[in-house]
Amino acid sequence: MPETERTVSFRNDITAKKVIRGCIELIEVKNLTKRYGNMRGVTDLNFTVEKGEVLGFLGPNGAGKSTTMNIITGYKPPTEGSVVIDGFDITRNPIEAKKRIGYLPEQPPIYPELSVMSYLKFVCELKGVEKTKIMPHIHEIMELVGIYDHRNRLIKNLSKGYKQRTGLAQALVSNPDVLVLDEPTVGLDPKQITEIRTLIKNLGRDHTIILSSHILAEISMICERVIIINKGEIAAIDTPKNLAKNIMASERFLTRIKGPKERVIQMIKNIDGVQNVKEMRLEEESETGFYGYIVENEKNADVKTPLFLAMARNGYIIHELRSLDVSLEDIFLQVTSEENENAEVH
Amino acid sequence: MWAIFKKEVSVFFLTPFGYIFIGMFLLLSGIVFSFYNLAGSRADILGMLGVMNFVSIVIFPVLTMKLLAEEKKMATDQLLFTAPVKISSIILGKYLAAFFVFLVALAATGIFVVFILIYGKTSTGAIVGSYLGFLLLGAAYIAICLFASSLTENQVTSALAGFGFLFGFMLMGLLSNSIPSEFLKGIVKWLSILNKYEEFTNGILKISPLVYYLSFAFLFVFFTIRVVENRQSKREG
Repeated sequence: MPETERTVSFRNDITAKKVIRGCIELIEVKNLTKRYGNMRGVTDLNFTVEKGEVLGFLGPNGAGKSTTMNIITGYKPPTEGSVVIDGFDITRNPIEAKKRIGYLPEQPPIYPELSVMSYLKFVCELKGVEKTKIMPHIHEIMELVGIYDHRNRLIKNLSKGYKQRTGLAQALVSNPDVLVLDEPTVGLDPKQITEIRTLIKNLGRDHTIILSSHILAEISMICERVIIINKGEIAAIDTPKNLAKNIMASERFLTRIKGPKERVIQMIKNIDGVQNVKEMRLEEESETGFYGYIVENEKNADVKTPLFLAMARNGYIIHELRSLDVSLEDIFLQVTSEENENAEVH
Repeated sequence: MWAIFKKEVSVFFLTPFGYIFIGMFLLLSGIVFSFYNLAGSRADILGMLGVMNFVSIVIFPVLTMKLLAEEKKMATDQLLFTAPVKISSIILGKYLAAFFVFLVALAATGIFVVFILIYGKTSTGAIVGSYLGFLLLGAAYIAICLFASSLTENQVTSALAGFGFLFGFMLMGLLSNSIPSEFLKGIVKWLSILNKYEEFTNGILKISPLVYYLSFAFLFVFFTIRVVENRQSKREG
């Protein structure tokens, strides 16, 4: 299993790196607030990122992820607060701070009329890469992100996945210490998603990365630490493992069964470990006699086997039986409801 | 700055836009040349450039409308404004690129001059003066249009605003005569960008119109930089 080996050695790299660089704070975000007129973009964000760390930014659309990233990279100024990159304040010393950042915005900043090669050449010149070093540098980056074979194609003719890679390549130009990647896998097909994730994981070996996503699985795969951001505020900071473990107390799955609704619900409720059964509306239910249910059960309890057996005994047909991943929404509901409970207590 | 310049110029010539622009420029000047110089058997290039002057209030807004609006639309401004470069060098690079394209288009009209020199009698001084004047006028016009495009994020609005600005400056020359106050008349006349152009066309090179146009260009490029800088550093919104 070469893949596992690689992962293992990659993990070792990180620990080794941690020992050496562990205490150096490369990014420091203090009291960061951004207002849009009367609307709050983000409010009072505080966090630091250590050198070599891969930090995940998790939040639903409109939570303030992109806003935060736009401020960290110096695209937009903060209303209040500061961002310091390797000792340089992004508003007071923008040129020095920007030299240390590679940014892949949500929409890759590419020029469709240019070829991959001439685009990267332009970025090199823009970022002030030494003239003699440009060509070897570009070749290295193109190999790394896997677009070397497409180097002479016009960007507008590339597939979405390759456009994304080109965008990533652009962020890598001039080899900055910090990479800020805003939803790098959004809109890609599953194969491309896996490829880009692996790529980012590999980049994490010698870069400090801030990555945003609304997919929990993605964050937990790549990041060492996660910031959950909701309505412009930090809701939680922790390792992905702890987040999933501590926050979610139950598992859920979806099933579609043909049979009388009340009876089926009663039968499912009678199974050991089931906490809750909810009916889910299906579009075609009236014609086919199928009803959908969302079953919530205790962690690690096997509910699916007894459910299958019980339905089979009664001749009720199961068409679908599918685990629902712990979604960000669940964690959010959990996090926000906890906050509400606390508020009620006070 | 040169990175931006090179990128703009190459994008311009990699897309049909560049060729259509230069094609239109040559078509219009060719029509004027045919009617005024060939059919009218006149040997001065002045007429052609004079008419092109009027046409230019349409041409320059089209040339500059993409420069700033397109970056915003394609979200590539996120690359430019997060790169370790000053906003002034980004704007300057774009300005010079637009000017360069105009230079190429204008150079292509040199073919008409060749015809005139072969088949007609004319003063070389007048030709050089006319071209230099038109070049400087273009430099000022492009700066004004670039400024207009910095005020909006939409290409069409940008072109219309540029057209409005140039039309306004042109009208000043025509309207200035009907202003009763001598003082105001002087100001408006001074602002009327076309007036100075005529000083070039008689073949005498004077320093004042040269300075006039260059400062016009400089001023509006400066305004553009300020507008963009201001927008990027707005603490709210």
